[in-house]
Amino acid sequence: MGGFLPPAESRSNLLLVAYAAASLVLLLTGDRLPQSALRGVGAALFAPFDRVVLAGDRLSAAWRENARLHQRLADLELENVRLRDEGVENQRLREQLGLASRRPSALRPVEVLALTGEPIPSAATLSAGERHGVRVGDVVIERDGLVGRVTEVYPTLSRATLLTEPNNAVACEVESAGVMGVLHYVTTPRPRLVLTGLSFTDTVRVGQRVITSGLSRHYPRALPVGTIARVNRDAGGFTQDIEVAPAVRLSKLRHAFVIPRTDSLPESR
Amino acid sequence: MKTAFGLVSLVVVALLLRSTALSVLAARGVVLDVLAFVTVLWALKSGEGWGSTFGFVLGLVSDLDAGHWLGRHALALAALGYVVGRLSRSLVRDSVRTQLVILFVVTFLHQTWSLLFELRGPVGLGFLLGRAAVAGAATALAGTVALILVHWGAGQPLFGHADIQSGPAH
Repeated sequence: MGGFLPPAESRSNLLLVAYAAASLVLLLTGDRLPQSALRGVGAALFAPFDRVVLAGDRLSAAWRENARLHQRLADLELENVRLRDEGVENQRLREQLGLASRRPSALRPVEVLALTGEPIPSAATLSAGERHGVRVGDVVIERDGLVGRVTEVYPTLSRATLLTEPNNAVACEVESAGVMGVLHYVTTPRPRLVLTGLSFTDTVRVGQRVITSGLSRHYPRALPVGTIARVNRDAGGFTQDIEVAPAVRLSKLRHAFVIPRTDSLPESR
Repeated sequence: MKTAFGLVSLVVVALLLRSTALSVLAARGVVLDVLAFVTVLWALKSGEGWGSTFGFVLGLVSDLDAGHWLGRHALALAALGYVVGRLSRSLVRDSVRTQLVILFVVTFLHQTWSLLFELRGPVGLGFLLGRAAVAGAATALAGTVALILVHWGAGQPLFGHADIQSGPAH
């Protein structure tokens, strides 16, 4: 075929064929390649640019946030005094009942350098990595609730898979109702978080909070995940489709906290 | 050398935009497909050879970033870069209408192809096509306005004349 075409055109055609063939091979075998290492190199290369691009946005957001945080700090200090008092009482009661004591989680603040995925981000590049003590499996949270888990760790950066990654599943419960389910992100017929695995006899209401359950080995218990936004029951009432509005605005992530994964924490009594 | 440097710079800028400013817009339902936009831009300027090369490189890097389906964007953008590059020979590339139509069609095709990988049955097909059409319209409008502004700023045609101009023969 090349003989019928001018040389430049023939070269372009060959290039396209080569690219198409390479793409198809990658589509079929890409999962076997060491993508994590390549992404680590890419994240390290892009991190300085990300910081520059985000600098302006961060500065203006920090300015606005400062006043709000001052107010919140004052409120939290007052609340903290009350909670300390109740914590002592709680500890005493748990000891009397023979329950294991709870240890506070150590929070490591990190900056979110980049978000991946459209239209809803499904992964985030974090500004801390192996050298800062971040490990695969660490939980990522934000002030309002659960964000996701660290799935790849590089020397100075890491990558977290968010709740909105379709392959991610989080064992959850509906607060105060004791209803257990598994949270998934589905993209069709429209993107949303869905709580599945509920018994059809379970009764939940719109507005109830969804938190991580004690059944999950990946996440500590009682992290806020979202609130029930819609309950769709089928005509026969045998199944229900529960939509959850996330507690955290994942598209606006700027900062987050990393909690060491549960098995790395010292054993509770 | 200059072209390769330009290619790498544009790839970096596109990916940075995609992972920062545009991701906020995308979460609100307005997907501005910067990958399709810069591929069209490069293919209109440099022809099908560089167009497909640019599309392949940009697609591959963005596939790697996404973590799933390595080759998904690379295949689509290489093919679209090639087609736009071929068309650029016979189109009036500086025409606003041409840019608007090409950006819409290319974005629509790229979005449809990418979203097909997320489809888990025929249920979401209508939603998918709607999302691709909205992305196509948004990218075409924003991209065309950006090109008009750059044209005004530069004070000269961005792409120069096509090999074969449309219009009546003299």
